Amino acid sequence: MRPTALFWLSAGLIGWALLPWYMTDSGFWSFGWLAGLVGENRPGAAWAVTGRPWLTLPALGLMGAGIGLAFTRRQLATARALTGSGAAGLGLLVGEAMLVGTRYGPVAGENPSLGAGALVTAAALLFLATTGISGLGKGRGDAFVTGLVGAIIALVGMFVFYPLSFILIRAFELKGGAGFGVSEFFPRFFSSSVWGIGCMSGQGHCGPAINSLMLGLATATGTTFMGLMFALIFTRTEFPAKKLLRVLTILPIITPPFVIGLALILLFGRAGTITEFLAWAIDIPKTRWLYGFQGVWLAQMLSFTPIAFLVLIGVVEGVSPSMEEASQTLDANRWQTFRYVSFPLMRPGLANAFLLGFIESIADFGNPLVLGGNFNVLSTEIYFAIVGTIADPAKAAILSITLLAFTFSAFLAQRFWVGNKNYATVTGKADSGRHAALNSVLRWTAYLVALPWAAFTMVLYALIIFGSFVKLWGYDHSFTLEHYIRGFKVVIRKGVHFTGAAWDSYFTTLTISAIAAPMTAAVGIATAYLLVRQKFTGKNAFEFSTMLSFAIPGTVIGVAYIMAFNFPPIELTGTGLILIIVFVFRNMPVGVRGGIAAMSQLDASLDEASITLGANSATTLRRVILPLMGPAILAALTYSFVRAITSVSAVVFLVSARHNMATSFIVGRVENGEYGIAIAYASVLIVTMLAVILAMQLVIGRRTLRRADRVETH
Amino acid sequence: MTKGSVRFENVTKDYGAVVALKPLNLDIAPGTLVTLLGPSGCGKTTTLRLVAGLEPPSSGRILIGGADVTHLSATYRRVSMVFQSYALFPHMTVVQNVAYGLTVKRMNKTEARQRAEEGLVLVGLEGFADRLPSELSGGQQQRVAVARAIVLEPEVLLLDEPLSNLDAKLRRHVREEIRQIQQRLNLTAIYVTHDQEEAMAVSDRIIVMKNAEIAQEGSPEDLYDNPNSAFIADFIGDANLLPVDVTRVGETTEVRLGTLNLSVTAGFGRIGAAQLVLRPHQIAISREHAEGRISAEVAYAAYLGNQIQYTLTTEFGEIFAIAPPTTHPIGKGEAVHLSFEPAAARLVEV
Amino acid sequence: MKKTYAISALALAAGLAGTAAMADTLNVVCSNEQAWCDLMAQNFEIDTGIDVAVVRKSTGETLAQIRAEAGNPKVDVWWGGTGDPHLIAASEGLTTPSGVDVSGQLGWSQAMTEMSGGKAVGVHVGLLGVIYNTEILSEKGLDAPACWRDLAKPEYKGEIQVANPNSSGTAYTELATLVQLFGEDEGFKLLAEIGANVNQYTKSGSAPGKATARGENTIGIGFMHDMVNLKKQGFPVEIVAPCEGTGYEVGAVSIINGTPNMEAAQKWVEYVISAPAQSAGLEVGVYNIPSNPDAATDPAAPDMAAVKLIDYDFKTYGASDTRARLLERWTAEVKDAGGLVEE
Repeated sequence: MRPTALFWLSAGLIGWALLPWYMTDSGFWSFGWLAGLVGENRPGAAWAVTGRPWLTLPALGLMGAGIGLAFTRRQLATARALTGSGAAGLGLLVGEAMLVGTRYGPVAGENPSLGAGALVTAAALLFLATTGISGLGKGRGDAFVTGLVGAIIALVGMFVFYPLSFILIRAFELKGGAGFGVSEFFPRFFSSSVWGIGCMSGQGHCGPAINSLMLGLATATGTTFMGLMFALIFTRTEFPAKKLLRVLTILPIITPPFVIGLALILLFGRAGTITEFLAWAIDIPKTRWLYGFQGVWLAQMLSFTPIAFLVLIGVVEGVSPSMEEASQTLDANRWQTFRYVSFPLMRPGLANAFLLGFIESIADFGNPLVLGGNFNVLSTEIYFAIVGTIADPAKAAILSITLLAFTFSAFLAQRFWVGNKNYATVTGKADSGRHAALNSVLRWTAYLVALPWAAFTMVLYALIIFGSFVKLWGYDHSFTLEHYIRGFKVVIRKGVHFTGAAWDSYFTTLTISAIAAPMTAAVGIATAYLLVRQKFTGKNAFEFSTMLSFAIPGTVIGVAYIMAFNFPPIELTGTGLILIIVFVFRNMPVGVRGGIAAMSQLDASLDEASITLGANSATTLRRVILPLMGPAILAALTYSFVRAITSVSAVVFLVSARHNMATSFIVGRVENGEYGIAIAYASVLIVTMLAVILAMQLVIGRRTLRRADRVETH
Repeated sequence: MTKGSVRFENVTKDYGAVVALKPLNLDIAPGTLVTLLGPSGCGKTTTLRLVAGLEPPSSGRILIGGADVTHLSATYRRVSMVFQSYALFPHMTVVQNVAYGLTVKRMNKTEARQRAEEGLVLVGLEGFADRLPSELSGGQQQRVAVARAIVLEPEVLLLDEPLSNLDAKLRRHVREEIRQIQQRLNLTAIYVTHDQEEAMAVSDRIIVMKNAEIAQEGSPEDLYDNPNSAFIADFIGDANLLPVDVTRVGETTEVRLGTLNLSVTAGFGRIGAAQLVLRPHQIAISREHAEGRISAEVAYAAYLGNQIQYTLTTEFGEIFAIAPPTTHPIGKGEAVHLSFEPAAARLVEV
Repeated sequence: MKKTYAISALALAAGLAGTAAMADTLNVVCSNEQAWCDLMAQNFEIDTGIDVAVVRKSTGETLAQIRAEAGNPKVDVWWGGTGDPHLIAASEGLTTPSGVDVSGQLGWSQAMTEMSGGKAVGVHVGLLGVIYNTEILSEKGLDAPACWRDLAKPEYKGEIQVANPNSSGTAYTELATLVQLFGEDEGFKLLAEIGANVNQYTKSGSAPGKATARGENTIGIGFMHDMVNLKKQGFPVEIVAPCEGTGYEVGAVSIINGTPNMEAAQKWVEYVISAPAQSAGLEVGVYNIPSNPDAATDPAAPDMAAVKLIDYDFKTYGASDTRARLLERWTAEVKDAGGLVEE
């Protein structure tokens, strides 16, 4: 404990006394601030004696910790001193930053946006406190564990709760700026325009809440089922073209928004190819059936089945073959083995897949926008409450709370279903068995469900590629490279110049996503580790808070981020960093869910063995748990990378001229009807992502728990 | 205090309302193999995990080698553990598994590998270094787990039901190996099992636990010969428990068994109801009746080659006895008469 | 242990990278088509030497963003998009008078500038019109519509698409136009009759036109310059200026209140109302009517002189209270009254 505390104490002192306290004009790593170190870029210590005395406050915490380290010898006393002074120092720093000279501030004074010094000092104070807490015997006395809990709570607090409070509080705003209260909240929250169930009786329309709920349940059920079928084909059959299937199941998640919707319209719309063909061949009247619940559901099934698949494949693979063999030796047939052994063991995975599908569906914005027709869901209503002809942030906030309530219920239901059962199947006892094959009914069900779906996906993508090479999709099908040239022209004359319209946003998107993906995976897996392997008070609340950002529509997050991070004490708008942060905290739940599912299949005795062999938690995580979680990490990395590239609603408000993203470029083109270049750009992105994913798969690969993954032959 | 000793001072452990361990005091001498024996749920595994540092105690102090480790995390305790499930890292080869503890202590790779290979030699697995755990048999995997624990030269080696996943023959073999290694390296070892035969075979000392506390401790012979309760008598080796009335205590003890008045050398604290402990091999079976013999009928006889096992029906319930094979085996249904040496029987509380 | 420190240090180092403010360039939010945004920015840089960064966002998104950023804006100029949101921004004090001379501009541009107190300068006009798909119309044997009243004909049941004025400025312009043309009560009656034929109220104002072009819909209502673009792309569509007269929107450019780059921002405003800058729009398919009388136009583009225009009252119909009242009435009398026929 002592060395760790000393490390953070010195870091804190450096942060307070040597680094520029406030935000500097040029980047930290350009060291331009060195010049202004006696001027505007003074460290906190210097400001404290030159007119900003409140900057002494954070140092009090450091001082307390120093005194504690110097004058206490008993571990418990030192631990108490560290915990107390770290927490107090952090509280004073936050309080000073929020209350002095800001828009909430009752205290006047000049206090611009915080910079490097403040960041380092705050981190140091936080970790002094958590190190102290570990010394009190919490987290098995492991400073790494308490530090991790502290860091994640601080990050989630800063980047989820803090911004969201700005927008959610508006739900309680009274009309005409008369302050806040609940007198208008409840009538609006329970209004029949939100909860109407007219469609059930065939009269009129349902409210967006009911629509979202129905859509969410339908999509979650469908994607979980479909994902399971694909996962079973992968692990339990000898289907010859698994590689191709794998690519097909990945394609939809790497497809930028709107593209699937457009392709569906071109196939099934009133003037769609298939619609035209059916009208011509068997005289089925052309209708607009696609626009509404059915269309959105279809598009969501295409978009989100891969998520369910990615969650389930790890789980289905993880079911120990010896359990299946045990079942078979107990005279169970293949169906009984599946029904009573394998399937129950997959329950946490199924529950996770369902939860993700549900949340994805109700937060989805692109598909309902393109295909919704008159079918209104919460996410689109929220978007238009913010950007519509009459901006109504209160309505957006109320609808967001409704959406959150759904997420919360789904979360609780998942809890209830999975319960506290132990599903560890990768134990330290090595296993060389073979996965049981499926019985023929199940196998053929899987084939019959999954293969046509795969074929359908394939047709859709062929169509998309086709669309990027023709002059005017749907009308003029003469071959052209024009769309690619407009987007991705490269001039080689005195060096290489990327003159195409899309290059800027393409590079920005890749850079930002590449930075965000490993961070997302790291935060997600670390959180999963804490949730599965560590015991601490408030774990359930902690778990839910990490799910929160995923459940809130991107639009709301985007506006909330602007409101929170455009002013001191934290100013991030207009930077690339705000995009990275929004991706990390928005996509982190995927890493968490996947991590939890994978980790709860690893027997705890593996960690314990590592710890009793003298490894600390950090080493155990790195050398034992992470290598065994290959597929889960891969899924988290892949998914967060892809989500960062394809997400649209959250970024719309956060992209700036310097940092534009591919999706916002594509959406602009789609809005303008320039489908050609939009699809060409989408195709380039798809190919890029595919290449990245394959590369990652090669690097991280599969777990080698058994020398060869064998499936019992039929 | 010396390296390798383990001491518990009033250690308790509870999980909310569930008491896993009542105040426990323990002293384990260096270089001995002590077994924690007891039925499942008796607190023996909890005790082991407290020594390992995998659980913090609710109260009390734990000392290893004389140093207070109560708040020290498992990482920093010089204690290694062999798990029931082996807990071999499935993604590492055998030698990587064994070298793991050495490499996390920053030993350089070549040295770690060399030491790991020595460890493998010790458990008789030279030549298996580069296999994956999944390519080994259960017994081999268990020996890898042992090697992994001992190459660290721990002060204390903990074994949590290490043989429960092995078949009977292998079990005997591996337990002998474990005992030999322990003695050769002069390790302090704490061994958890619910199998009394295993405990008898390997231990210097056995601590029998029941209901989250110690029921009796002592050498295997002590426990077998002088059980302090019916539970111990029954748990350590087979025992016939006959209800008796102690009628006189003193130089010899007089007891009444049904209508029989018998005299035994074992002492008993008081007059009144007690149980007479008779080991199966201490019972002599005769076709002839004599004074003081217990009448019985053979309900079942099993010939096992080196001995014959009898299940006998008496007015006091069933009695289990074994006898060397004879040329005139007693058959099922025959009436027999049982006797025992007065010095052999023990008396315990009801 | 050392590794833990290393990881912590790395995380901190990454955090430090985020502690710098932004560099000085002109930041423009553009609510026109992407290509037009890019071209204008490129020309501006070449002609003035000022470094400019442009991002495209819809008017609603831009308004939401500058509201949230009020007081510490990260955007200097907002160029393009329909005039109403610019007027709202002006009335909420989100934008600031540019002080640019607009005397050389067309009358409606000057009127817009005057109305907003110099905060929003009119840059283009978009005329409201009707588009229909010639193939579907002949397939179904329907007559082409020529007037607003034609749209109420029962044979168009399920054939018409228009945006929802609650989400789309285009649709609100249509609503306000009909109210101004026929009077409020009569206008709503006509809207309800047309509403009986509507198959979908889209979110976006340009969606009905695109759906019509692709054959997903038969008749759409929207801005004519978008329709010209579709027709030029080769879709089988025709464009109609309704016989009773039609309304229009005035697109604008505004400088955000509190910009640190006022001088460069003024240069941008001056630049986008100059004739050479506006003429360049033809290169990328911009068919609205530019505010500079000397700017070049395309013969296929809508011509203000050839279309019967109403005298659109921006002051009244752009005001928030009128807007709220009309939309409430629309929701009650038109949207909830039926229509939305899914064939």
